[in-house]
Amino acid sequence: MTASTETLHLQHADHQAHSGAHGWRRWLYATNHKDIGTLYLWFSFTMFLLGGTMALGIRAELFQPGLQFWHPEFFNQLTTLHGIIMVFGAIMPAFTGLANWMLPLMLGAPDMAFARMNNWSFWLLPPAAALLVISLFVPGGAPAGGWTLYPPLSIQAGMGMDLAIFAIHLLGLSSIMGSINIVTTVLNMRAPGMTLLKMPMFAWTSLVTAYLLIAVAPVLAGAVTMLLTDRHFGTHFFKAAGGGDPVLFQHIFWFFGHPEVYIMALPAFGIVSQILPTFARKPLFGYVSMVYAVCSIAILSFMVWAHHMFAVGLPATAQLFFMFMTMLIAVPTGVKVFNWIATMWQGEMTFETPMLFAIGFVCLFTVGGFSGLVLSIAPIDIQMTDTYYVVAHFHYVLVAGALFSLFGATYYWLPKWTGHMYNEKLGKLHFWWSMIWFNVTFFPMHFLGLAGMPRRIPDYPLQFTDFNSVASVGAFCFGLGQLLFLYNVINTIRGGAGRAPARPWEGAHTLEWEVASPAPHHTWETPPDEALVKKGLRAQLLDQDHE
Amino acid sequence: MNAVAHGANRRTAIRLGLVALAMFSFGYVLAPFYDVLCRAIGLDRARPEFATAIPTALRLEFDTNVADGLPVTIDTLDRVVAAKAGSLVKARFRIANTGDQPLTIRAIPSFAPVRAAGLLQKLECFCFDALKLAPHETRDVTVVLLVAETLPEELGAATLSYTLQPA
Repeated sequence: MTASTETLHLQHADHQAHSGAHGWRRWLYATNHKDIGTLYLWFSFTMFLLGGTMALGIRAELFQPGLQFWHPEFFNQLTTLHGIIMVFGAIMPAFTGLANWMLPLMLGAPDMAFARMNNWSFWLLPPAAALLVISLFVPGGAPAGGWTLYPPLSIQAGMGMDLAIFAIHLLGLSSIMGSINIVTTVLNMRAPGMTLLKMPMFAWTSLVTAYLLIAVAPVLAGAVTMLLTDRHFGTHFFKAAGGGDPVLFQHIFWFFGHPEVYIMALPAFGIVSQILPTFARKPLFGYVSMVYAVCSIAILSFMVWAHHMFAVGLPATAQLFFMFMTMLIAVPTGVKVFNWIATMWQGEMTFETPMLFAIGFVCLFTVGGFSGLVLSIAPIDIQMTDTYYVVAHFHYVLVAGALFSLFGATYYWLPKWTGHMYNEKLGKLHFWWSMIWFNVTFFPMHFLGLAGMPRRIPDYPLQFTDFNSVASVGAFCFGLGQLLFLYNVINTIRGGAGRAPARPWEGAHTLEWEVASPAPHHTWETPPDEALVKKGLRAQLLDQDHE
Repeated sequence: MNAVAHGANRRTAIRLGLVALAMFSFGYVLAPFYDVLCRAIGLDRARPEFATAIPTALRLEFDTNVADGLPVTIDTLDRVVAAKAGSLVKARFRIANTGDQPLTIRAIPSFAPVRAAGLLQKLECFCFDALKLAPHETRDVTVVLLVAETLPEELGAATLSYTLQPA
């Protein structure tokens, strides 16, 4: 431990003593970025279990052909809520939580830029989640037209749809405020000596993600507001009877929806770019090209939305344009995968749990990327639209991509958060368990989709039985395995495998490892001095200018 | 945090908030813009004559093709026509010889679905005769159809197709 951390440690002993409110007030009135980060992470894990339970409801019904457990209407409510909850309740808040916890630590800032707005961004989430859950119990039930809320179904649906619309308004507001906070923190509050092109990759991806959110979350809010006024106030944005067009909704929705895909993927890229160099004990390969790749993915993500709509009857010119733009995204993504592999190349690799999840991410995200490339080809996509091939594709990028990176991040930073080491054996078991059952669940879905099994239908012809049974068994095993993760985290909070040093990973050189473990309530109240920042940058080979 | 940093943060936040507001309006601007764009590229979405005329009108779509290697272009000036029962329908096409040689060509007609055969009577068609085109000549040609007095309810649209071949 360096001398400066020693002093920090001492300073913090007395800060901890007067850290403000206690008990429930500490959380309800929280303005500290670490408390708010913790709230975000627990909230998203709760939503993950809720959405996961719904997924198991879906898989139970699909274990056999015929209708066993649910009415078809309820099955459709399950698929819809599973999607909305996982996207807006689990993955996105988890990344925001990580950004809250880690950005000030990594950048050498005392807190996020707007502490009270930060509190508000978090506390909008539980009411939104409550609205979604309540919608299950109102007449007509929860929205059942798919998480994309396409009209005309979403215009005809019962009041559950109104609750979902309000939930999306709240979630959007929360995302926008959280993003404003992130951008401001990253742009204005970095330690002296840390220029933009010397930031940790996680800060870069969080910054770009926040920009994406500020640009597209309001568009989604507009789209659902139009749905709301179509439903109740006599407008005809999407109602064909009054001259509106349901396809217009798809355009607006996917103008939000495609950048949203990268909102859930870019932070994962950042996390993996932190973990791989640490455990390969080599600086990140091609740092600048990584930054440019992230930026170009973000820009391209605004020009590809209609590849979600190849089957609606776009003019051939538009199909070609969106097809080629989509394929173009494979270039910067390929740059990233290449750089990750080159980072590991000839590194002194060790395989602690975060590293396993990061490598698992690189392998499986690439599989998901390739099936995405297949779907980008318009004539193939028209064949595959709304089949299980699409379901397999986006679960490879969202579960093995976003979720695995979140597990990796949790194991990576748990020592910093709790001051204790997690149980490595359990962590590895969690990884291998998840890895195997994830593939058992989702790989067969490729075959089902190729054979023509449609998504969002509770029943299927007999010939699809075997693969569906396999997928259902895999899903239940995968789901149960996540309790192992919960146990490991709680166990770590309670002491785990012993006290963690300030820098539990000797290959980690970013600023968060310069403060004590657990990270004191207040950190970097005086910014880290330039020598300390330089030392970390030198170890990451970022001390030179990049020109 | 000192006052200077505080002011800088506030400015950044206000700017980002304005971007968010602008993007919210952008969603709404897309709605009229979408109408304009569809009209500009010739997509007939929700044209009133189709919304109200069915089944007293038949949707007629015209499709054109050119044989490989023939230096001729053909544009459909009326891509989609609402053919009212018992009416005369006229569709215009613009044929251009892009080569330096005079050409003699012929349009080979085709249509779908087969059930449309009894409903449309071709009174005049540029496909009846071979066409002689001077080098770089552009010529407007027509098809005139008589629509049957009564139209079956289930027939939504009929497509008439013309492929230019060397005569």
